[in-house]
Amino acid sequence: MPSEPPTSGGLDANPSQAAGAAGAPFRGRLHPLTLVFAALDSLKSFLVPIIAVGIFGRGDGAMHPLFWVFLALPVYSAVVRYLTFRYRLDQGELITKHGIIARHERHIPLARVQDIRIEQGVLHRLFGVVEAQVETGAGKGPEASLSVLSRAEAERLRQAVFESLPAGAGATPAATRGGEPMAAAEIIRTIGLRELVLEGLTSNRMASVLVLFAVGLGFVDDLVPRERYEQWLREGGEMVARLSARYGESLWIPLGLLAVAGVLVSVGISVVGSIVLFHRFTLARRGEDLQRRYGLLRQRSSNLPRRRIQLLKVEEGLLRRWLRLATIRVDTASGASDEEERKSGRDVLLPIVRRDELPALLPQLLPGLEGDAAPWRQVSRRAIRRGFLKGSIALVFLAGGLFAVEALLRAPRWFDIWPLFLLPAVYWLNVISYRHLGYASGRFYFQTRRGWLGRAWHILPLRNAQTVEIRETPFDRRHGVVTLHLDTAGQSHTGGAPGIANLPRAEALALARSLARTAGATRYCWR
Amino acid sequence: MADEAMPGAEPSELSATIEAPDQTLTPTIEAGAEEFQSLDPRVVRLWRLHQLIFAAVFGGVLLIPLFMLGVRSGRWLWPLVGWLVIMGLLGIRVCWHPRRAYRAWGYRLDEKVLEIRQGIWFRSLTLLPLSRLQHVDLDAGPIERGLGLASLVFHTAGTQNAIIVLPGLEASRARQLRDHLVAVGGDDAV
Repeated sequence: MPSEPPTSGGLDANPSQAAGAAGAPFRGRLHPLTLVFAALDSLKSFLVPIIAVGIFGRGDGAMHPLFWVFLALPVYSAVVRYLTFRYRLDQGELITKHGIIARHERHIPLARVQDIRIEQGVLHRLFGVVEAQVETGAGKGPEASLSVLSRAEAERLRQAVFESLPAGAGATPAATRGGEPMAAAEIIRTIGLRELVLEGLTSNRMASVLVLFAVGLGFVDDLVPRERYEQWLREGGEMVARLSARYGESLWIPLGLLAVAGVLVSVGISVVGSIVLFHRFTLARRGEDLQRRYGLLRQRSSNLPRRRIQLLKVEEGLLRRWLRLATIRVDTASGASDEEERKSGRDVLLPIVRRDELPALLPQLLPGLEGDAAPWRQVSRRAIRRGFLKGSIALVFLAGGLFAVEALLRAPRWFDIWPLFLLPAVYWLNVISYRHLGYASGRFYFQTRRGWLGRAWHILPLRNAQTVEIRETPFDRRHGVVTLHLDTAGQSHTGGAPGIANLPRAEALALARSLARTAGATRYCWR
Repeated sequence: MADEAMPGAEPSELSATIEAPDQTLTPTIEAGAEEFQSLDPRVVRLWRLHQLIFAAVFGGVLLIPLFMLGVRSGRWLWPLVGWLVIMGLLGIRVCWHPRRAYRAWGYRLDEKVLEIRQGIWFRSLTLLPLSRLQHVDLDAGPIERGLGLASLVFHTAGTQNAIIVLPGLEASRARQLRDHLVAVGGDDAV
């Protein structure tokens, strides 16, 4: 919107609430322990120069003046931060101020506050303090970091911020809102140690690679003629033999041990990582808010109002599908997607869940989902033929290329066109993906399902859908089909809803118009 | 939807002029699609001019390797023929493409949704629910201004389709359309 202070509209409508829950204007400062933690924090960035001075300081080591300067700077900055940092809630804004020489003042409209995340490292826990990070929809990283506060103060801040928001901000379809702002938290799901071990085992990339390798090996064994297969084995053996001749007798044993150890270590790391990250994972609901709390060393907690879910994805990787497990991811409008998100576990809403729990669990995340049943529909059967055709063309090219290479290097033999033997598999694959590709268009939610080995199930609340698009390639036109896309905000954790290809054109057009109209009839809400 | 007044909202008489269609019906890509409005016909001239400029620059740049090839080999015929063929193709494009693209473009507005269709071979139809509009830009380059044209750029909170362009509108109409859309759609912008 052009140059319009964004807070004025919605928030001034409820000035009494904006004054804060306590009735008095909300203001505060950091916890005295900030002195310690801020100093430690900035000491880290001075570690290298300090060590450098210690080593290269011409022998006088710790007595070198620079040493004291580098030591004093973090202490100084911590003292300044503690003494000058103030925050307050005023006129629907969270205002932070700090600095002596350069004064920094930041105004964050409360309407933009997506979440106040609370994190607590091991040291923090010893002293009962937390870091509070104020998250807005804008770009990457927290908008303001209040570090450190006492736990009680952080909770007070969180409450004051979220209770000052107008309650009716977004019209929820099957809404449970209004009357119960202070409802007690109801635990939706906790994750125990056994499941975390499973999570670690199945999230391990190494493990899935190994499984695929084993499957592939069996495949090769069946398909490739025996002589060629044995020749490969022989050549491989010879190479190892040459190596072992050079490096000693029993190369096999250390190699094997190494491989086993590598796998064990990587699986171990994955399991330990999963336990450290998600220990005592709890997903609870309090009124409209989904609350998550987890972590062994660093404990994290965050809030997510259900209406802010832009898109929900139930992800079943290959291994997890075999074990009847799934992961739930959601997008929020703040599109920060980086390694940090993944490392801190923010990219998943629920890291692991049994598939048979989903029917009971999903409606708690997406209100009204259970009453929004729509029949699953499939796309045009031509999808199989077209997919098969694409796959066949790729395979023919591959086979032709291989044959040509063999013909150039030595005499080609008939089985050099082995990619063509995969044609039935490609057909079967297309049939499988066709069967599992589907969509369901309800009144409030649009759902898609897809995948052959791994599966993905996307649920899109229509009031958070952005645009609908129909695309038609010249090939599509010959078959009278189109691809339908629904665009959403965020998409950093789910990858966005998949486009649905091979929809009959008239059906797609009617669907697109009804989706756009349904979406247009609701207000889009960030908060 | 709440009808709080937006800043810059014009009196709603505008919506009447918006809906008044100048009824340039064009063949539609979608079977059974109702009347889409076409762009201002002057956009054909604009696109043609753009492509002419491109063709001139491209042809000029292409002359450099042609010249070098000619000097090196001493033969001028084939490089010249190649160049002429390329320029001929570009010429056909200049003649044919803008008119065809003009017929492919179209938009349709009702009180809830703006639909925009485009594309000759690869066609698309974008449906933008008006309540999803974050803001609307009005762009007009120097040539566009000279022709009295302007483009509207619609921004949504989405990801792949966050920016949607509707080119080749008559300038005053573009302004009307923008004001109307901001008034209708902007009411739940954050």
